[in-house]
Amino acid sequence: MKNLKTYSYILFAGMVGLASCKPNLVSKSAVSAGSLDLTRYIAVGNSLTAGYADGGLYREGQLNSYPAIIAKQMQSVGGGAFNQPLFTEAQANGSGYLRLTGFNQTTGAPITAPVTTGLAVTGQTTVPTGPLTSTTVTTYTKYTGDINNFGVPGIKLVHATIASYGNLNGFYERLLPGAILSHNTAYLDFVTAKPFTFFTNWLGNNDALNFATTGGVDALTDKATFTAAYTNVIAKLTATGAKGAVATIPDVTTIPFLNTVTPAAILAAAKAANSQVQAIYVSGLVSGTNYQPRVATNQDLIVLTFPTSLIGSTTAGAGTYPYGLHPLNPIENKYVLDAAEVSLAKDYVVSYNASIKAAAAAKGLAVFDANTFLTNLKAKGLVINGVSLNANFISGGIFSLDGVHLTQRGYAIVANEFISAINAQYNSSIPTADVSSFPSVKFP
Amino acid sequence: MYVCTPTQTRCKPIILIMRKLLFTLLASVPAMAFSQGFQVNLHGQKQIGMGHTGTGLLQDGASVLFNPGAVAMLPENYVQAGVSPLLFKSAFSPTGSNTQYDVANKIATPFTAYGVWGPKGSNFKFGLGVYTPFGGLTDWGNTWTGKYTLTSLDLKAIFFQPTISYKLTDRVSIGGGFVYNHASVVLKRAIPLASSTGADGEAELNGKGHGFGWNAGVFVKASEKFTVGVNYRSQVTTKVKNGDAIFKVPASVQANFPQPNTFTASLPLPSTTSIGIGYYPHKDWTIAVDASFVNWAVYKSLDFDYANNTATLQDTHSPRNYKNGSVYRVGAEYKASTKWALRAGGGYASTPVQDGYVTPEAPDANRLIFTGGLGYKATKNLNIDASFMYEDVLSRTQTNIETNLAGTFKTNVFIPGISLSYHW
Repeated sequence: MKNLKTYSYILFAGMVGLASCKPNLVSKSAVSAGSLDLTRYIAVGNSLTAGYADGGLYREGQLNSYPAIIAKQMQSVGGGAFNQPLFTEAQANGSGYLRLTGFNQTTGAPITAPVTTGLAVTGQTTVPTGPLTSTTVTTYTKYTGDINNFGVPGIKLVHATIASYGNLNGFYERLLPGAILSHNTAYLDFVTAKPFTFFTNWLGNNDALNFATTGGVDALTDKATFTAAYTNVIAKLTATGAKGAVATIPDVTTIPFLNTVTPAAILAAAKAANSQVQAIYVSGLVSGTNYQPRVATNQDLIVLTFPTSLIGSTTAGAGTYPYGLHPLNPIENKYVLDAAEVSLAKDYVVSYNASIKAAAAAKGLAVFDANTFLTNLKAKGLVINGVSLNANFISGGIFSLDGVHLTQRGYAIVANEFISAINAQYNSSIPTADVSSFPSVKFP
Repeated sequence: MYVCTPTQTRCKPIILIMRKLLFTLLASVPAMAFSQGFQVNLHGQKQIGMGHTGTGLLQDGASVLFNPGAVAMLPENYVQAGVSPLLFKSAFSPTGSNTQYDVANKIATPFTAYGVWGPKGSNFKFGLGVYTPFGGLTDWGNTWTGKYTLTSLDLKAIFFQPTISYKLTDRVSIGGGFVYNHASVVLKRAIPLASSTGADGEAELNGKGHGFGWNAGVFVKASEKFTVGVNYRSQVTTKVKNGDAIFKVPASVQANFPQPNTFTASLPLPSTTSIGIGYYPHKDWTIAVDASFVNWAVYKSLDFDYANNTATLQDTHSPRNYKNGSVYRVGAEYKASTKWALRAGGGYASTPVQDGYVTPEAPDANRLIFTGGLGYKATKNLNIDASFMYEDVLSRTQTNIETNLAGTFKTNVFIPGISLSYHW
């Protein structure tokens, strides 16, 4: 039996030794930046680039912005430091954002609540926009450090060269030295002030998105204006020899913000409340700026933020007649991207993307075709590492609680799409990020 | 957000039917793959040392498993037991990434126990075998990239096999046994529903089941120098009934995963047909070859039936479409002295898992097998045998058709082992 004891000791020691004999699948030479110089990567863009999510810009979203994810992956192949204009930990909730608090017990509809503590809001400033007009700008605690992520929520492509834009956008204002109303540095000049070796540019979404989310109230950027502005931005970004990647503009009509509340659902609920209800009326675009009331169809997209409680009210909208249920009091234009406006938005986005691809091709830049990606996601869904994702609100996993911006998982997927496009264009092999480690919508 | 106040009489809540929108999409309900990786061929230290050959040999009580037909020919009675601690070192690297994920160091303990007895001078011998021909212990942890396909699996199947063997002539014997299988499985997987802290949900399937089968064989002493054995171990379809299906998800979505819940699943542990030859060129030498065919093609799909279904928690039907597998083995034993025996062997096993179906439960591929062993005759009646097996499961790069988990798997398996046999 002494033998047995000896054997068991040998066996135990052997197992411990064997435990270190793991397979080795990763070799250092497998990843490389190729010919790219990733010393200083800057990210140019809007809210998507800033890491905006759940209807706000907040620290956790910033930390998981797609440029931050790309930069982290680049660091394994020689990428430099990547600084973001983070809100402080004390003001981690930044602009405030929406939180999911539960689901309505009877309808199953999600219930959200704004986060109102730990904000970085410093005040409201009235800024003149013309001789007789003004706008109110919310300002935030300034950020003064070095910046690599220049994502500014709300910025349109056509804003990039407006010198006074810093006075009109609180998210840009907080990056600039000096006080609001005194700013005169155009965004494009600001981001290119310091030398950089690589860039991503995802400007242009808001030139179409704002039109869509306001039900066609905000104007689409003129096609030719967009082309000229985009070419100008790319010329400036590549002027010193930097390489880069750009992304196309998604079909803004595919987002859950416009596909969750449907005319059919509103009609069904209205009928359930009053069996005499025949139809839902919307204010539909006829041509130019001529809107006429008509019966809503499933081609009309209702915004996610539409207060459905207005339906049937005789004081809402034009009043007198039940709101949304009568041609003399249709659902207002601002809540509906009607079928004609949908066509318009699609048509403009096609034109914008042709301009983006042409400008990128002229400079040999990588292109992440976000439009194709989102269209495929909407049509077919996507399975990554055993998780089914799609373009649905909340359940889809990609879109955050505002129905427009992405979840952390969504941004990680975007980062990997950018990386794939960069690798394909520049023969680099920047490793992709682990999508599984980024959460989707958080549930209480 | 969309709810009316009770005072607005014309307005009833707009039903967005969010619950139906929710999670009709989750591919996250656990499903399990059985593969060659789950067939554990560690059935006797003497045999393991010789490349796990033994269908055509008369080594010891392990013939109860290797070939019940040979039991009646065994020269003595046996009581023996062995254990083969198994270290399954699997790694995964996603396509396009520079990250490697490794399974945790966990040691599975396949074991064997055999008894063989026959009245002196009788043509009959009776046997009992308790062994673990299927199992798996894989723990990838809950932070790896494939956590939504699997975090851990602990599968155990213990077979009990009473056996009878009869010597027809001095050259030919037959035997057969009835098999009862007691199986247990604990399978865990992350659910992609994040809590307020960002932590994933978790699914755990925890069940026990049983199944029946049989094992029969023929053994022939063809000549002084040759012995031949043929063995058939039947399919053992093991049904796990009313196992616990535990889903931990954030409270607001728990209704999608009703608790408590149970599941039922059927696991077809496939039949194995083996032929083995023993060759004795010299009194101190034994050479053995075995060939086995494993009928994995019965494994077409894996289905889970939940007692409480919801729109989210549907019964699952996962295609597996295995093809048959085969294993070729060769081994040798040299009796260095009256006390010591040296053994060595090797083999090659082809995977039944087709491209696109490899899963992290037991990431399967063709494998090379190398073995060595040492036998020591401590007393006239007591043998101590030690064995070592190394399995080189070849690296395999593919994208799973169900989960899109894409990357390269590589597995090394290290299995030392020891047994004691008392014979008289």
